[in-house]
Amino acid sequence: MGNIKETFLNPIFKGNPISVLVLGICSSLAVTVQLKGAFVMGLSVIIVTGVSSLICSLLRNTIPNRIRIIVQLVVVAMMVILVDQVLKAYAYSVSKTLSVYIGLIITNCIVMGRIEAFALGNKPFASLMDGLGNGLGYAMILVIVAFFRELLGSGTLFGFQIIPQAVYDFGYMNNGLMILPPMALIILGCVIWVQRSIQKDLQEK
Amino acid sequence: MNTNSNTYTVIYSIVLVVIVAAVLAFAAMFLKPTQDANVKKDTISQILTAATVEGEDILATYQDAIEAAILVDIDGNKVDDLDIQDCEVYGTADLKRQIAAEQKALPVYIFKNGITVVPCYGAGLWGPIWGYVGFEGDLKTIKAVCFGHKGETPGLGAKIADEPSFAEAFVGKQVGTGDILFEIAKPANRQTENNGVDAISGATITSQALGKTLNQWFGFYQNYLAKNGAVCKQACEHCTECSEVEPANTVEE
Repeated sequence: MGNIKETFLNPIFKGNPISVLVLGICSSLAVTVQLKGAFVMGLSVIIVTGVSSLICSLLRNTIPNRIRIIVQLVVVAMMVILVDQVLKAYAYSVSKTLSVYIGLIITNCIVMGRIEAFALGNKPFASLMDGLGNGLGYAMILVIVAFFRELLGSGTLFGFQIIPQAVYDFGYMNNGLMILPPMALIILGCVIWVQRSIQKDLQEK
Repeated sequence: MNTNSNTYTVIYSIVLVVIVAAVLAFAAMFLKPTQDANVKKDTISQILTAATVEGEDILATYQDAIEAAILVDIDGNKVDDLDIQDCEVYGTADLKRQIAAEQKALPVYIFKNGITVVPCYGAGLWGPIWGYVGFEGDLKTIKAVCFGHKGETPGLGAKIADEPSFAEAFVGKQVGTGDILFEIAKPANRQTENNGVDAISGATITSQALGKTLNQWFGFYQNYLAKNGAVCKQACEHCTECSEVEPANTVEE
């Protein structure tokens, strides 16, 4: 069981898919303007990585080797469409903000990468944990980046005003650059910097 | 079993695809009513924005604020009613049908605050664009607008929906007469004074498409707007033109 715990926790910090493996950068730049969007996107990716890893792991001994990528793709696509449909039905406003990015989870390298690298060679439960862990690692970075972008760019968190009006009266202004994608890249760079200074073994000689 | 044989591979992929298709079809059918309700709510909230009505519960607010929702033909005559109690509105698919239809049934939403909202629908750069225009009592002056789109470029064409200053530019503008009913272009390229707004920099095609759409739909509604605009309603106490309105049927010799 210790091994399973390690499988789950490793991708959250030590082997984080975004900050260490540098996968799934594109979507993390696009959906981190607001915390709410980042949160829902993170949750969607957790579900997609977890369940598709589980399904692929259950099927792993039956999948013909020559079409294994296609099979993975079909499973991931199914999960993504399901998540998209559910969001459209029960969280319409968020689904409108995230628009195409939910559909683009399918192109997120984390999902296919974890299935190909882990789920096809491991037992279902371990694969589920690996998928959930990677999704969680992805979601965590998304939320961190979105926290700074929404706070400094709009002065709000989850849509609630955090920076009081009095501060604006003194001449404080929201940083417009924070709303734009380049700032996500810079914050992401800072996150990676912090992580590498804590985790010395990640530093290249 | 040999999982690499051709027969196995073909059968495997067929079975997998059929199962996945069944799951997705079931999910789509199951979720469709909820999704449709959301889309309808979204449409109504856009209509309410154009009518400058605000409220928490969108359906209840709509029922409270609406005076009449009717369908008119191209000559501006009423052909049918929309069910207010049921919050019946024309969605984008219904609007699309009217463009090519020979017998048009164009929705008009008349609100108790004196604002009349008419929709428009057309092709943008990447997908459909649509919008709702709220007119003051004279049915000429624009009070508020609300535009939407399927997939215009974020940060450029998408500004028609999410850039407040673009929508604000329409306020107080009027629908023109003659060939050009409304223009969206830079001031130097506009032929009229008060019948147009600035286009969006970097989103020329979306801006032009919206201009074209508005022209087409204002054209559809031209007769209705002209017929009903002069008749002043009691609700528009802010409108100062009531006393000055001349009878519409003065004939020039």
